[in-house]
Amino acid sequence: MKAYITYFKLKFISSLQYRSAAWAGIATQFFFGFVYVMVYVAFYESGGKNLPMELSQIITYLWLNQSLLALVNQFSKDQELFKIIRDGGVSYELARPKNLYFMWYFKILGQRLANVTLRFFPLIIITTILPYPFHLGGPASLLHFLSFLLSLILGTLLVVALSVFYPIITLITMNEKGIVNLLMTIASVLSGVSIPIPFFPKFLQIISSFLPFQYISDLPFRLYVGNISLTDGVFGMCIQFIWIVIFIILGNIIMRINIKKIVVQGG
Amino acid sequence: MKIYFESLAMHLKGELEYRVDFILSFLSQILVFFTYYFIILALFTKFNHIKGFTLYEVLLCFSIVQFGFAFNEVFARGIDKFDELIIRGDFDRLLLRPKNIILQVLCSDSDFVKVSRLIQSIIVLIIAICHLNISWNLLKIITLLLMLFSSCIIFFGIFLMAASYCFFTVQGLEVRNVFTDGGKHMAQYPIGVFSKGFVYFFTFIIPYAFVNYYPLLFFLGRKSSILYAFSPLLVFLYLIPSIVTFYLGMKRYSSVGS
Repeated sequence: MKAYITYFKLKFISSLQYRSAAWAGIATQFFFGFVYVMVYVAFYESGGKNLPMELSQIITYLWLNQSLLALVNQFSKDQELFKIIRDGGVSYELARPKNLYFMWYFKILGQRLANVTLRFFPLIIITTILPYPFHLGGPASLLHFLSFLLSLILGTLLVVALSVFYPIITLITMNEKGIVNLLMTIASVLSGVSIPIPFFPKFLQIISSFLPFQYISDLPFRLYVGNISLTDGVFGMCIQFIWIVIFIILGNIIMRINIKKIVVQGG
Repeated sequence: MKIYFESLAMHLKGELEYRVDFILSFLSQILVFFTYYFIILALFTKFNHIKGFTLYEVLLCFSIVQFGFAFNEVFARGIDKFDELIIRGDFDRLLLRPKNIILQVLCSDSDFVKVSRLIQSIIVLIIAICHLNISWNLLKIITLLLMLFSSCIIFFGIFLMAASYCFFTVQGLEVRNVFTDGGKHMAQYPIGVFSKGFVYFFTFIIPYAFVNYYPLLFFLGRKSSILYAFSPLLVFLYLIPSIVTFYLGMKRYSSVGS
């Protein structure tokens, strides 16, 4: 276990070096968040029927999403992992007497946590002091906030378990585009990043509840704004936990099968 | 111009060498585009209109903006990926050749996978037009064509400005996305639906409103002044500062070596 934590620390500290990238990220996320917020404000001002969320809830949801995007997004690829697969460096990793799956797991976790550490604080501050109705609101209650934190931690473990699949798939296909991008797009839409799950058509909401993606960020954010009751939240967290276990076991199995027939590129 | 088409053909051949990859990327692009389309459809199941614009009116606007963006991704990819030219030091090579520099940058890359988006945006455009009751006349056809054309021009200008940014620094390139992707995302809806400040910004600083709002009002028959119909022509003026910025930046350029 100690070795894995060291991997995590190494990646975390080295990723903290990219500060100028972080400022650019903050500016970008702020602008994008603002565009999304304005679209919803315009829609809500035009009036609608049976709206699943209140305007203040959806704006808070959108800002949380932008602030924590580095933690929960579906599109970040750990370039270093893909590089060692392409240029054959993966053979060094295999030479180490540790489980490759967990080495990668903790590296990805470290990078995501470092990126979000650099970004979320300024974004939370700026968006909280924005004028009504554009601002990030407070949590629905203390209990909602605590369950938000807990489910966000579980959601992070889940998104990392999902992200480890991408380099594993690349071990087979030797190409980090094509199929990986296809999967990322599906994961991204169904996780509610582009549009919150309650706005999905009914049938898609049902399909989506059987898939893991909405338990990454949609569940914690909706708990925060109070769009999900606490009992449903606890139920959701159980599902998060089950998916994490399934993904880690599945990832380990696929990894083990693939390593047997791995072709190392170059040397 | 001949050089440009020859280089396009070369890039196409190059991309088709990796056939499976090309097909998979093509499929994934279709899916990506479909998600944009899906978001708007999903929102319109909950809302009847956005500031008076109905689903198909928004889709018309959406398809025109997506068309212009995809057009530049296919045919002006070199400008979009200009930072790579600078970082690799390949820009120095272009400077040595006795041809127009912007043309050479255009020739340096292209991305045919994005043709999928061009096709899809035209499909959405046709769907939208079929559902709208438009009293057609010659002027409206011209307006529609001008909108499509100016959409290509405005993104070309923005890409060029974003490329000029690379002359000053190649750090924090994500900021470029604010103007390219962010602008595209915003202009999917008629600019008029946003608050006043934004409308002014996107009329006078980055003239999206002349692509997707003022001519749209004429096209939908909400405004009858002929000025609205020809307002997309103003977007061409936007090319002047874009090109000037690019050349000004180039004067400052010092090679990164290698």
